Amino acid sequence: MGEIISMIETFSIELAFFFLFGTICIGTAISVVFQKNPVVSAVSLVFMFFSLAGIYGIMGALFIATMQVLVYAGAIMVLVVFVLMLLSQRAENLSKFLNNPFKVVSLSLLALFFFFGLYSALNMGVPNAYQSGKGYKTTESTSVYQYPIQGTSSVSANGNAATVGAATYLEYVLPFELISILLLVAVIGAVILAKKRLGEGSEAKDATL
Amino acid sequence: MNPLISGIPVPFFLGLAGILFSIGVLGVLIRRNAVVIFMSVELILNSVNLVFVTFSKSLSNISGEVVVFFVMAIAAAEAAVGLALVIAIFRQKKSANVDELQEMKW
Repeated sequence: MGEIISMIETFSIELAFFFLFGTICIGTAISVVFQKNPVVSAVSLVFMFFSLAGIYGIMGALFIATMQVLVYAGAIMVLVVFVLMLLSQRAENLSKFLNNPFKVVSLSLLALFFFFGLYSALNMGVPNAYQSGKGYKTTESTSVYQYPIQGTSSVSANGNAATVGAATYLEYVLPFELISILLLVAVIGAVILAKKRLGEGSEAKDATL
Repeated sequence: MNPLISGIPVPFFLGLAGILFSIGVLGVLIRRNAVVIFMSVELILNSVNLVFVTFSKSLSNISGEVVVFFVMAIAAAEAAVGLALVIAIFRQKKSANVDELQEMKW
């Protein structure tokens, strides 16, 4: 533990943002597990995804941070909340929460503060934010990929979309294509699982789902 | 292996990922609502993503971040199929409580 402490020479802004986002991350993760109302845990999970995106931003993995917000906080959470709303028998808990103005105002202030922190982390806390990665070079008019860099088989991890994309499409083409097949199979399976039985007739009409 | 990522020691990230993983496992074990169990699985996958990005940065090798991209795709597929399963089960049993699913018990 002592050597870890001695690694930190100065209390930098990155470290402050790491502790901020780490605390929010752990707190909201605990809230996901221990909240009684599933809708509240879903909202906590959204905050947890956003704070993890902030941590990725601090680490300089900007592409991963973007994908975290797009895929997890966007697509997957829409799916989860949609299913929760379809299944929910306890929607009155949420409306009771929304009727309390103090709670709503404090939650809004917390969200505002949180997104301001995320914005500042992406602006100030990110090292190499305005540096082009190795393996990718912009001249006056053109962008050039240099891959592989001499003597290595992998590009340096600078975390922008260009380097990750170069590694994906040059080194991991086969897994990428397999992922597309897997997504297709998953979508077809989801449709087959969630559709109504075709011959169900009149009783399916007044069923709630 | 670089011990610092933008001024933060690597063990900090790994510790955070470990805590998140433990919370996710706890949620899978103690919760009864199927959708909350799926959310806990997302917590576990996110902690693994954090470990991948940490070592990708620490070892200066981009492959870890490519794997994170794949994990995200797998998580999306898992969420689609799993939630469709939850809806199909809810239509049969009128409940999303995993305690009431005992058809495969023997």
